[in-house]
Amino acid sequence: MSVAAVPAASVDLQRSPRALSRRRAIRWFRWSILGPLIVLLAVVLMPVLLLQLYFSFHQWSVYLGSWSEAEYVGLDLFGEVLTDPRFGWAVVRSLAFATGSTIGCFLVGFALAFLMYKPFRGQALYYTIFILPMLTVPVVVAYTAEMLLYQSGPINDLISRITGIEFKPMWLTDPNIALMTVMLLEIWNWAPFSFIILLAGLAAIPKEPIEAAEILGASRWRIFWEVQLPLLRPVIFLALVLRFLEAMAEFPKTWALLQGGPGTATETLPVYIFLTTWQYFEISKGAVMSYIVMVMMIVIVLFAIRLLRREKRSLDAMYGQAAREAAA
Amino acid sequence: MSKSNISRRGFIEGGVGLTIANVIPGTTPLALAASMEERTVTAAKAAGAADVSGMIWSPYFVPMQPVIAEFKKQTGIGVGGVQDISIFDAPQRAMAEALSRSPQFDFIHIDSNMIPSLASAGYLEPLDQYMKQADFKIEAVADYANFMTYKGQTYGIPTDGNVHIQYVRKDLIEDPDNKKKFADKHGKELKFPEVWEDDLKIQQTLMDPSKDLYGSGNLRNRANGPTWWYMIFYSAGGFTFDDDMNPTLDTPAGQYAVDIYLQDKKGAHPESAGWGTAQMIPRISQGHVVSCQYWDGTARLNENPAKSKLRGKWLYGLVPGSDFSGKRIHRSISSPLAALLINKYSPRKAQAAYLALWLGSGKNSIPIVSDPVNTFNDAWAKEHMTAPQVIDAYTAPAIKAIETNFQVVSPPTYLTGYLEFQDTLGKNLSEAYVGQLPAKDVLKKTQDEWNAVVRRIGRSKLKDELASYKAVMPKRNLPA
Repeated sequence: MSVAAVPAASVDLQRSPRALSRRRAIRWFRWSILGPLIVLLAVVLMPVLLLQLYFSFHQWSVYLGSWSEAEYVGLDLFGEVLTDPRFGWAVVRSLAFATGSTIGCFLVGFALAFLMYKPFRGQALYYTIFILPMLTVPVVVAYTAEMLLYQSGPINDLISRITGIEFKPMWLTDPNIALMTVMLLEIWNWAPFSFIILLAGLAAIPKEPIEAAEILGASRWRIFWEVQLPLLRPVIFLALVLRFLEAMAEFPKTWALLQGGPGTATETLPVYIFLTTWQYFEISKGAVMSYIVMVMMIVIVLFAIRLLRREKRSLDAMYGQAAREAAA
Repeated sequence: MSKSNISRRGFIEGGVGLTIANVIPGTTPLALAASMEERTVTAAKAAGAADVSGMIWSPYFVPMQPVIAEFKKQTGIGVGGVQDISIFDAPQRAMAEALSRSPQFDFIHIDSNMIPSLASAGYLEPLDQYMKQADFKIEAVADYANFMTYKGQTYGIPTDGNVHIQYVRKDLIEDPDNKKKFADKHGKELKFPEVWEDDLKIQQTLMDPSKDLYGSGNLRNRANGPTWWYMIFYSAGGFTFDDDMNPTLDTPAGQYAVDIYLQDKKGAHPESAGWGTAQMIPRISQGHVVSCQYWDGTARLNENPAKSKLRGKWLYGLVPGSDFSGKRIHRSISSPLAALLINKYSPRKAQAAYLALWLGSGKNSIPIVSDPVNTFNDAWAKEHMTAPQVIDAYTAPAIKAIETNFQVVSPPTYLTGYLEFQDTLGKNLSEAYVGQLPAKDVLKKTQDEWNAVVRRIGRSKLKDELASYKAVMPKRNLPA
């Protein structure tokens, strides 16, 4: 651990009554914001988490007695869940689904944002059109897709007519592509979310570095690749992380469309947890699964926060270097 | 029989005693001279006026509304509000209600196969006392009323028979060219299928995918597939558990059922693995199917000229049976069987119970089961089988088919844990159907999973319930 030397003048300044009062005011402000949140968490979230924790260590069958009389089983249920191949496959499917749909949302969202970030006539109309899918309720997306995606349905028919080739994939009943179908629907549904974040990010990039690059004769590609993209990296990262977490929890479309089938092709984590808790009424096992998923998500979030901080530091360093070079 | 000597004094004392007992409220049924509906009204009036609330799917609820309105007029008991929840989603919601011991719903309209699970969770009010009070009987075809009982008590009033009947395209099966084609190929006459093997042959021979005509209209999706498997399994002489609650699926009868179940794929639409009723009912009623077993309500749709172009072009009858066990056995199935169940925690349970009885009388349910548009409530009562209104909606052959199938109707696993048993079997069958699991492993895997369910719920508890399950099974191999 290193201790930084603090100049005497700075110490005096910190001890001045005005500075102390200011620090106190900041502290109060901070607590006035955080306080209600902490109370809300304690009152609403904590009892649920504690009850789930109780169920995680107690085997309770809904058919036998009250939950308070449930048998203590220690870590048995954790062992059961972690060795359950069905749970393992559900994790794999969820990760694949979340990764694929996050990348898809990002690519579509980024392309749209890049087209839209410079003002042009009619921009508001396009903006509205592009965010419309996000405003559609996922269950509606699922039922509409069900009608469109029959083998002999309008989508296949349209593609066949356009390409002149008979196009007949079974989007919803072929176990090899069913998960991908839900993934495509997820991308359609949520790409606007990435679009909004990335558009805000692109609009917030300072003009000076781009203008400087233009003056230096850089091509548009080079400006994009070496100036805009690096400056956008924290925003890209945020968009990816938020979308990934959302996608890991996707349930309404998968359930409404396929209920985990055909076979177990779309049995993702939320579907399996739902089935375990509300179809098999294994409340305790469902609670354990929820805890394991929560820990997984916390790890992912912490990792993401760490990466975000690193991104910010590298960006700050880049700005600092640019400022020094400009000053020199 | 022995003769007993009763003195005149004793006779008079006994008579006085019985007379007094007869006027004490709540000790005797109401006067039997009145009809069952009138007795229900009288008993309901004593419970007091109220607006009850419930969980019911609107296609079931809409045709009940005029009947409920009449009850409201006569008793002051009506329906204040309902939550419109699909019958397929209702079990989960009902279990959540049971867990929280919620008084929110006075009645729930749900698959009666959930009775053991919900009664075990302490949610259901037994209806026997209300039935006794109104001298009410469930006058169902054959032994169908048994489906409402669990451990000797009645917990439900049926509103929908939902029995599977056999559908075969009459125009195709009677076509001389098809008859010749079938005889040439199989060396036997083309006629209404009596065994599963013949049904498969008919499907595969008469199908013509180039005309969008597929052999089978049976469901093979994860949620509904087991319903079909049970019919084949029971008809092969199989039963799900031995007396010690060890699953007995992985048996020759079970494997035979899996084999027949999977062979359906040869005649089915390529997308059948994911299709449920929403996709299959239009396929059947529009004539894109040669032969299938399906819920009886689809006959009403087939014969409704406003909805179907194939009125009169269908044959209806007994579902195929099997000779696998050495004797011919036919087993139809009713699942989900929609029934009205009453919440034990409801402050208006008496009113809700009497409303259920009112809706479940043979006479009152005639307009409900013959509604031409909302065809979800299907005929189940003896009175339905002869009511012109019902026969007009279904046609006489379809009603005959319903009556016949009711005589050999069976449930899926009628035990606490019904959903668990059903979903694990459905998952494994579905995996085999789409090629994710070898057919030989389906039942072994299901047995392992069922053993875990039995352990979790409690072997001794389930052993106690086994008698109720067996009581619901049909007693005859063939319809009379």
